[in-house]
Amino acid sequence: MDFEKIKDAVTSIEMSEAMEHRVKENIGKRKSGQVLFKRLLPVASALAILLSIMIGIPYFNKNGELQVVNFTITAYALSDDENQLNTNLSTEKATFELSTIQRMGVIGGVGGDGPNFIFTDVMLNITGEDIDSITYTLSEGKFVEDVTLPLIKDYDWLVSEKINFITTEPGSNISQGIKEIGNTYTVNYNEQEKHKYTLAIPHDGNFVLVEDIVIEVNVKYIDGSSEQQDIVVTQEADSISLKLN
Amino acid sequence: MLQQVVWSAELDVERIVDTYGNMLFRICLVMLSNEKDAEDVVQDTFITYLTKSPTFNDSEHEKAWLITIATNRCKNMRRYNFIRKHMDISDLQLYSKDNENYGLLDHLMRLPTKHKVVLLLHYVEGYKVDEIAKILAITTSAVKKRLQRGRELLRERYRKENEYGL
Repeated sequence: MDFEKIKDAVTSIEMSEAMEHRVKENIGKRKSGQVLFKRLLPVASALAILLSIMIGIPYFNKNGELQVVNFTITAYALSDDENQLNTNLSTEKATFELSTIQRMGVIGGVGGDGPNFIFTDVMLNITGEDIDSITYTLSEGKFVEDVTLPLIKDYDWLVSEKINFITTEPGSNISQGIKEIGNTYTVNYNEQEKHKYTLAIPHDGNFVLVEDIVIEVNVKYIDGSSEQQDIVVTQEADSISLKLN
Repeated sequence: MLQQVVWSAELDVERIVDTYGNMLFRICLVMLSNEKDAEDVVQDTFITYLTKSPTFNDSEHEKAWLITIATNRCKNMRRYNFIRKHMDISDLQLYSKDNENYGLLDHLMRLPTKHKVVLLLHYVEGYKVDEIAKILAITTSAVKKRLQRGRELLRERYRKENEYGL
């Protein structure tokens, strides 16, 4: 085998002029967008602070004390050594050490390409009294569910069921898949065990795209009233942190 | 001032695409066996470069960084693309000057990704084993094994084709 010939064959590959022009144009557009975005950051930050103050006002009682919600949020996950980790969330960061490299993937993998995600393996559970249902809404990313299913080669069915990325051990009739739930879901308080949905965080193949992701937790009580608590999620190199906002 | 910033960004785009565009495109094309996907990865790699604006010691450092980003993106795209794609021989002809060339490219593209990427970096881009290990974040012994297995697979396929006239 002459590897010099392979080298010649590969080095003869070049982008067409049209492709080169298209790439330059697209990068240029995205880069200009970045410049504009950076210029708007101070204004956006000021607005964000103003909004936080305005939104934060109803959470203070008449004595000026911070009013906390009447339920507890527990985050749990399996660690890399398969031990279960769980912690009740507070305003202090709770960090789960979960190596990232094994958990990167693309939503929409079965049906074609899609955005990249880090599958975090982190789940949430609520405890409290007289709770009817809980609605979770993610600011960025998706909730996903690990599913086990018989060996299926019907890609259209998998796509219609939003089951992305399936793997099958050689010789096995069972496949493991990831099902996309969406950026929001509602679960009855007594049925939380049936919904083991984890967080999938957007990244670009190398870096996380959004620094802080917010999960809005809205708890509806049996008497019809409701309470809301936000969780800030931060994906770092080989860990994921959660804290109450 | 703003005009100057935009002008310098345009210059940067021109420079990196002219310098590294073809090199990244051929790595991505061989890894993904799909022209559109390869173009997307090249584009995303350059956008990441311009967005992150990393600092480099020299042009070799810059080149290695771009290859790392591009190969990682290719691996992710490939790993989760359940339907494996392969380039049609008529598409390959667009990139090859003669019959022998596109036969060789076809053999190379049909290799497992982990083997073809080390073959590419070693035989085409001229990287040494320890340099490839750094770029791909794997051990030097893994690079050696992949090189050896990649060569064996290529030889095997080439031999079969000649034997059976496939």
